[in-house]
Amino acid sequence: MKWEYAVGLLGLALLIAGHGMGLFMAPPEAMMGDVGRILYAHVPTAWIALLTYVIAFITAVGALWTGRIAWDAAVESTVEVGLVLNTLLMFQGAMWAKPTWGVFWDWDPRLTTTAVMAVSFLGVLILRSLITQPPKRLMASAVATIVASVNVPIVYKSVQWWNSLHQPMSSPETVDSTMVLPLRVAAFGMLFIGSYFLVARWRIALARLEREQDAPDLPETPEAIHLEASP
Amino acid sequence: MTGMVQGGWEYVIIVYVATWLTLGSYFVSLILRGRGK
Repeated sequence: MKWEYAVGLLGLALLIAGHGMGLFMAPPEAMMGDVGRILYAHVPTAWIALLTYVIAFITAVGALWTGRIAWDAAVESTVEVGLVLNTLLMFQGAMWAKPTWGVFWDWDPRLTTTAVMAVSFLGVLILRSLITQPPKRLMASAVATIVASVNVPIVYKSVQWWNSLHQPMSSPETVDSTMVLPLRVAAFGMLFIGSYFLVARWRIALARLEREQDAPDLPETPEAIHLEASP
Repeated sequence: MTGMVQGGWEYVIIVYVATWLTLGSYFVSLILRGRGK
């Protein structure tokens, strides 16, 4: 059994436990009531999405620095996993916004920067799919990932820098002690599941890139044959 | 406790179902793509 399966299974167990505690054992939130239980799904997703994008930045620097396909595969893996979590995060947020803010969406700084983050990393994946030459694809997607990553700390700090409908950053220091354990357990669950996703996706990308590298060069295009009509 | 949002379990359920569906379907996609690699 590959080691990442064990990590994934551990993450699965922790996420089930964290969500179970959040849904059935933690008290209702003082202002939001039972709707506040969305915290245990939404916040771990947000933390791991942002962490994945930070890793994407590091892998993009590694890809540019070394030019090796292992780093290029890591860019592909981290950007895709980050985008999956980013999209889930926005859906969870919309479902939390409706009963508490009265709307599914608002062009608030946190929400807007998060949407820009999703679109920009989606752009990286589209760019990768459009470029067929491996060295060019490596360089272009690494540069695009680094550019998209500039927004990640802005998303994180947006609730501090601007007036925002969104609540300030949640952490074990900012939530009640009765909520800390389920939040922490769910966060570690999401961390391990995210790690499994990253490694599994990296193996897939690396296998494809190695196949591409080992493929023989296509023969020169033959000269066009001109057929002349016989008299 | 005045002002506490009442109800809203439907949103909680939607979020948790969506979360597990997303994680589950991405897991399946990785397994399928891993087999074909």
